[in-house]
Amino acid sequence: MSYQYLKIKNDNGTSVITINRPEVYGALNFDSKMEIIRAIREAGKDESVRSLILTSEGKAFCSGQDLNDRNVQGNEGKKVDLGHTLETEWNPLINSIRESKKLIIGAINGVAAGAGLSVAMACDLIVAAPKVKFVSGFSQLGLAPDAGSSFTFVKALGYQKTLEFFLFNQPLYSEDLQLAGLINFIAENPLEAAEEMAAKINLMAPLSLELIKKNLQGAQEVSFRDSMEKETVTQRFLGASGDYQEGLKAFFDKRKPQFKGI
Amino acid sequence: MSNSFENILVNENYEGNSGITLITLNRPKVLNALNTQTLKEITTALCTTKSHVIILTGNDKAFAAGADIRQMLEAKPSDQINDEREKLWKEFNNFPYPIIAAVNGFCLGGGHELAMACDIIISGDNAKFGQPEINIGTTPGAGGTQRFTRTIGKSRASYYAMTGEMFTAVEAKDWGLVTKVVPYRTTIRESLEAAKKMAIKSPMALRLIKEGIQASFNTTLDEGLKLERRNFYLTFSLEDQKEGMNAFLEKRAPNYQGQ
Repeated sequence: MSYQYLKIKNDNGTSVITINRPEVYGALNFDSKMEIIRAIREAGKDESVRSLILTSEGKAFCSGQDLNDRNVQGNEGKKVDLGHTLETEWNPLINSIRESKKLIIGAINGVAAGAGLSVAMACDLIVAAPKVKFVSGFSQLGLAPDAGSSFTFVKALGYQKTLEFFLFNQPLYSEDLQLAGLINFIAENPLEAAEEMAAKINLMAPLSLELIKKNLQGAQEVSFRDSMEKETVTQRFLGASGDYQEGLKAFFDKRKPQFKGI
Repeated sequence: MSNSFENILVNENYEGNSGITLITLNRPKVLNALNTQTLKEITTALCTTKSHVIILTGNDKAFAAGADIRQMLEAKPSDQINDEREKLWKEFNNFPYPIIAAVNGFCLGGGHELAMACDIIISGDNAKFGQPEINIGTTPGAGGTQRFTRTIGKSRASYYAMTGEMFTAVEAKDWGLVTKVVPYRTTIRESLEAAKKMAIKSPMALRLIKEGIQASFNTTLDEGLKLERRNFYLTFSLEDQKEGMNAFLEKRAPNYQGQ
């Protein structure tokens, strides 16, 4: 399985996916998006992989859409359909992160802009370098933020702050987003910090991780009542799992549990 | 366990629950495409089961992704007319007891029609529903313009049958097609919980309720109400009704015999 735009490293149960396009500040063209989706799926199927890290080579994390891609320019008298680009490229990319059974940690090494902002924010846990810039940028091009950023930011920052962020394209920094609850940690070396976090996650029960992720994503969209119902269903299922038996035994034996994902 | 079938697995008394049978479509390589043989095996399993609650399921990736296109490509209209499928669908519909569709993954075309022919759909959150026949130059053939329309309404059914677009479990629940959306890992487990609640009820009463609800699709309100009332009277001739009411008054759990 070879990748043109990514570097993949599988180590100690963690798959590190690195966007390798420093010359265009991590901008994504069609093929690189498809490669990320493929890499996440592969890691999802690989039983030796317990967690993923998404990061990028160079100064930037991801500057969003690669505007050199012909299908977003609309030349030769042809009209562009950016809705199509979202439906077939960006949304599937964001969904592949959100719908992965495994936790994906974003190690945000540098600026995240445009749809790159959405890619960063789609990650389950986020570690960013200090003073990293997060910029929306869409309104400058006469567009509106996409790939989930409206939802994510309005929930975290509220309406007025988000509107300001989207309209005037002043960057928010990692420190701001940490205060807003969108970023977990700030570290000089975000990849290293992400790997430390991954090492902890890799010891946890896979089914429990998967369902905690699902339920929290669900809770952002449904009522309290529905959310409680999901929790009930989940707990009934996990309560019957082998890992729960192991977790209980380890608790009473005062030892670390050995989870198997069953 | 009786597994004389090629395309399905049948678990009678599923997980030790008497009265509950789990039928699993088992052609993972073709995403459980619903060929005639599979349909025949399902109806055969329904004919021979002693259970009065059925759970019908596929696997995590697909409940059933439509009819078998390879089988259909070569078919002439006469083949389709002579095909037993219509008869088999009728047999499926005539099964008198509740069938719960436990749906994960793709539930498309014939698979979607099969799920709609069940009484209840419990869906994993990874499910994708649709009638994509239009994408391959044909039309739904077993409820995809009928049950579909009656359940989700004309405008929506038209949109999805005519664009071939898929819709999600949450949308399906909003429109009343699906009873419950659960994390997909828990779909069978939750379907079993629902099945257990039904399995301890009077089989005769379950049967009469199913008959009444099915009739609501086929008859006028007056006719339907008449049937319902007659069935209600009929329960008073059943021992199960006496047992249920006595148990209620004696504050104990009823023990139905299906008589």
